Amino acid sequence: MRRALAGWAAFLVVAALVPLAIGGDRYLMLLANVMLMFMALALSWDVVARTGQLSLAHGAFFGLGAYTVALGHRYAALHPLLGLLLAAVVGTAVAAGLGVVTLRLRGIYFAIATLAFAEVLRTVAFQLPDITGGPVGISMPPLFDGDRLLSYYVAGAIFVVALALSLGVRYTRAHYAVTAVRTNETVAAAMGVPVVRTKVLTFAASALVATLAGAFYMPFITHTDPQDAFEVSRSVAALVFPIFGGIYTTIGPVIGTIVLRSFEEYLRVTPPWKEGYQVVYGAVIVLAVLFMPRGLLGLTQRVRAWRS
Amino acid sequence: MEALPQTLLFGILRSGLYALTALGLAISLGVIGIVNFAHGEFVMLGAYLGFWLYLTLSGPLGLGPEVSPLVLAVGIPLSALVLFIVGRGVFRFTLRPLLARPELDQMLLTFGMAILIQNSVVIALSPQALDANLGWRFELIEMPGGVVSVTYARVAAFVLSMALVAGTYLLLARTRIGKQMRAVAQNRLGAMVVGIHVDRVYEVAFGLSLALAAGAGVMLIFSTQVSPFIGLATILKAFSIVVLAGLGNLFGVVWASLLLGVAEQVISQYVPNGAALRDGLFFLIIFVVLLVRPGGLGRSR
Amino acid sequence: MALLEAEGLVRRFRGLAAVDGLSFTVEEGKTLAVIGPNGAGKTTAFNLISGLLAPNAGRVAFRGSDVTRKRAHDRCRMGLGRTFQVVQPFAELDVVGNVMVGALFGGGAKSVDAARREALRLCELVGLGAKAAWPVGGLTVPDRKRLELARALATRPAVLMLDEVMEGLTPVEEREAVALLHRIRAEGVTLLLIEHVMSTVRDLSDRVIVMDYGKKIAEGTYAEISRDPKVIAAYLGSEEPMRGAVPPSDPPA
Repeated sequence: MRRALAGWAAFLVVAALVPLAIGGDRYLMLLANVMLMFMALALSWDVVARTGQLSLAHGAFFGLGAYTVALGHRYAALHPLLGLLLAAVVGTAVAAGLGVVTLRLRGIYFAIATLAFAEVLRTVAFQLPDITGGPVGISMPPLFDGDRLLSYYVAGAIFVVALALSLGVRYTRAHYAVTAVRTNETVAAAMGVPVVRTKVLTFAASALVATLAGAFYMPFITHTDPQDAFEVSRSVAALVFPIFGGIYTTIGPVIGTIVLRSFEEYLRVTPPWKEGYQVVYGAVIVLAVLFMPRGLLGLTQRVRAWRS
Repeated sequence: MEALPQTLLFGILRSGLYALTALGLAISLGVIGIVNFAHGEFVMLGAYLGFWLYLTLSGPLGLGPEVSPLVLAVGIPLSALVLFIVGRGVFRFTLRPLLARPELDQMLLTFGMAILIQNSVVIALSPQALDANLGWRFELIEMPGGVVSVTYARVAAFVLSMALVAGTYLLLARTRIGKQMRAVAQNRLGAMVVGIHVDRVYEVAFGLSLALAAGAGVMLIFSTQVSPFIGLATILKAFSIVVLAGLGNLFGVVWASLLLGVAEQVISQYVPNGAALRDGLFFLIIFVVLLVRPGGLGRSR
Repeated sequence: MALLEAEGLVRRFRGLAAVDGLSFTVEEGKTLAVIGPNGAGKTTAFNLISGLLAPNAGRVAFRGSDVTRKRAHDRCRMGLGRTFQVVQPFAELDVVGNVMVGALFGGGAKSVDAARREALRLCELVGLGAKAAWPVGGLTVPDRKRLELARALATRPAVLMLDEVMEGLTPVEEREAVALLHRIRAEGVTLLLIEHVMSTVRDLSDRVIVMDYGKKIAEGTYAEISRDPKVIAAYLGSEEPMRGAVPPSDPPA
């Protein structure tokens, strides 16, 4: 464990120095901010996957975080950093409620419920224009007046929270709980593992991080609407990055985000992909599940094993 | 209150397509035990196929908009057949190897397929909704008494959907493969013991579920606007119907669809801000049923 | 002292009663064996007692308190441990990791390190000491059973339910297993076993109950029930020989 912590500490130092390398380029700083945000989202999704559950709602929690901050600002003049805290509370509570009902049942019900939940949030944001601004969306002033360096460190802090969650679930007794639950819930219960509690706590903690990521996004991007805040593509991103990089690990989601998200920047502006760039993600998911279940990390492990 | 008969009628008519779509999903869920997140995308593909057929028949063949009934007559079997074959292939090469693996992997696969299919259509064609100048969509039937008004298209969709649903039920109840499907749905191990070739049953069931989806898709072009993105809304409705009827309760899908179809219309008509709530209705149903009676509201086990 | 009590347990599957009014008690320190032809409802009974299945009727009491409503993991923590007939290790954890699951949750270990120490101790006890760091995929059948035992022991059971632990073992391995069970008993664990191998039943059990069609049809010492015509009829009727059945007049091995 100490080696892992040292490795991540080094990574954080490097990440902290990235803005120096970037200089003043606003586009690159935007990318860097967004990259940290997505790494946090990817790490949070991976944690839920460790209990064997498929969440299709991580994009929705992201959007929930964004709207909480925006609404907090509009109706209570809440500073975005306080909005972050509020969003974290809201996200955790909602996730716990959703989880308690659906995680007692077979995994398919949870997956379906998360999908439906995402759609409902989007619809609610869309159909209540008096409160949320409806299809036009909602705005707020930029975080730190648009200083992308300061916001980078806020994103970094959220990334650190995500990292702590991911490493925590790996290096404490939680690792044994989630692995047992994922492998065989019945036997896990017979060995004393509180199965439902494990799943709910993991989901709530994960949703907390996803909500924080969205809560950061709102003041960073200054404007969002239901289409943008709750787009399915973010739930897709949340899961394809860890799957590609290596599920059930901490390095995997981070690497997967860096590689795929960078590639996405290219795709988004290149025809014919432009609006359909997600097709790449669909293909990655299908191919990874069929041929590369442990992602890039799994591949390197297999190569190493084959060599020795 | 004059709107009530109209509202009810609308609800009942819409439930036809819902039932057809949901039945397809219920079959793959009940017989094979997988959640096909791409089910809605196959409905979408069926719709695009139907639209292509319409363009082909009315345009180059010069038959004009009157060709709509022909589109239904030809399109439904055609798309059903195509997707039946496609479905068997998809199952054999992607899903079957995954059946021994954890549910998470199976769900991820179908979800990935959904994203893949949806965006392939966006790239290959366009993200814009189909510009379907399907005149028949809006032609009203002359109804005596003037109490209700309804289009040919809606009635046709209802009648055809229910016919297909009834046909599927007959298949399940009377044919050998149908009975095998029900046996596997009830008890996979038991089915294997009595010699049923379970893998083949799975393949047929999956093909059937896609065929039903495709058929529903063809009819869809006459009721709503179709875009590459309709898959999600379609599948959510189908899921809530299946959850309401209860997993494995294939025969309960019809009344669950009727209930939801009517409820949907009643809510959007009579509840203030109904349109907003209407979409939330489906999630609410799923949530409440899971809370109260996870087995669905069908017969108790 | 009655450590475990089952009272009038009923469990139906689609109208068919797998367990039909089963009642018995397990006294502390007295090994109870449950035997019966296949399909008699023995494993279902175990699932009801361990909390993996809810009964349609009846109650389960452990150490005097009613646990019928309690979840499986709570019952495990209270001291009700079990193994499974088809051994199901957690494939992504190594041998010691598997045992640690039991230690951390059922056994209430204070820390991951403490759990690891206890898990290693138990691996030694069952004979897996050398393979503690092995992935479970590399284990032989008897080793998997050892793992199953170690994992269940890690949950610190007062009553340990063993579901056909002898199945698939050679006679030599059977003897080793019985010796191991004696050692476990010596540590103060009360055993409740489902078994088909009659020599084991005869050697280990203080009392035996016989199940058929979900009901208890006989109860007593091994000597008593092996003479009971109802029991013989149940086995004869099922075309299944009482494996390794020995006449009760044989001296214990």
